[in-house]
Amino acid sequence: MRPAPRLPDGHPDFSGPWDGCWKSGPGGCYGGGTNNDIEQDLEMKPGELDALLQPWAKEVRSKRVEKDEPYVGCLPEGVPRINPYGTRFAESYTAKGLTHIFILHENGDSGAHRQIFMDGRKHPGENDLFPTWFGHSIGWWDGDTLVVDTVGYNDKFWIDGKGTPHTEQMHTIERYSRPNYGTLLLDFVLDDPGAFTRPIEYRFQFKAMRPDLDLMEFICLEDNEYGIAGGFTPADENGEKEKAKEQAQPSK
Amino acid sequence: MKTKFGMLLALLGLFTVPVLAHHGFDTEYDKDQKLELTGVVTQVSWMNPHMRVYINVTDKDGTVTNYNCELDSPNNVRRLGWGKDDLMPGDKVNFEANPGKIVKNRVALVKITKAGEDKPLFKRTRVDDGKQ
Repeated sequence: MRPAPRLPDGHPDFSGPWDGCWKSGPGGCYGGGTNNDIEQDLEMKPGELDALLQPWAKEVRSKRVEKDEPYVGCLPEGVPRINPYGTRFAESYTAKGLTHIFILHENGDSGAHRQIFMDGRKHPGENDLFPTWFGHSIGWWDGDTLVVDTVGYNDKFWIDGKGTPHTEQMHTIERYSRPNYGTLLLDFVLDDPGAFTRPIEYRFQFKAMRPDLDLMEFICLEDNEYGIAGGFTPADENGEKEKAKEQAQPSK
Repeated sequence: MKTKFGMLLALLGLFTVPVLAHHGFDTEYDKDQKLELTGVVTQVSWMNPHMRVYINVTDKDGTVTNYNCELDSPNNVRRLGWGKDDLMPGDKVNFEANPGKIVKNRVALVKITKAGEDKPLFKRTRVDDGKQ
């Protein structure tokens, strides 16, 4: 098997592009991250997730339905759910060396990009850490492994399509390694004492995309007709948006 | 040539493509019902998050229904080897699809084949594919 290529500075080149969508399950494809059901995607036994969730989180998960999830309205999926999409690591070298790595995701506006600060900075203090969809990420090399430490996530995205919640306490540690040309491994730790009873660890895996393929544009809001065939509007289970529109109409 | 190669790969199952990647399938469409229809393409919409093909179907009484057929993302359809000119308005097609649970002329495309051809231009690889 071909070895992983290396960057001019000697570190492994993770650029890709990568396909995290190579396993198939009832909820669709996955592999590089969570997808439809974290319990299934992380190869847990049925019911195992319940013991990992705080009681409130278990209740929220049981009540959420797909049409209410932010992603079907084209909002981002967050980490690690974004990963089954086509992914590219863009290593950004400046006069100061490798100062940033951007992780690009094919689902574009609904996935956006992640910015990993490689310049040695720390996470901002509490007063400056505003919750965001992809949080604040700092990275460093541990030998041939890229470590990405992220805090400052908002609590808006769902970790999977079943509605597994999290809180703004969520802290993730990603350790990326490339054992050979075609494989990218992600040793992932999710620590959120607000929603989970203990940290979750799992090894995700990406496969290199076919050489003739690359990331392409994806503007989710262009023509999102989700829900119409089923007679509903996303994130509007009780028809509140429609009611608001009616109320906003001038009286005849 | 690239297009044909891509389609061959798809048919051989060597390159799986998620379908309805942006969201689940069962919420909107009835997987237990399958329509098998013939019609004429009126529009091919290469738009995100999911590509759509609009097809006029004339029933035995002469009533024309325009079907809004949902596929996968344009990117994934392109990766199946489907080129811009491979399906155009005016093309006669045979297609299979699962109808919407409420709006019956909105359908999830299972398979579409141009009239007179054997190999489908698009064939859904996994019925239960959902969110990606």
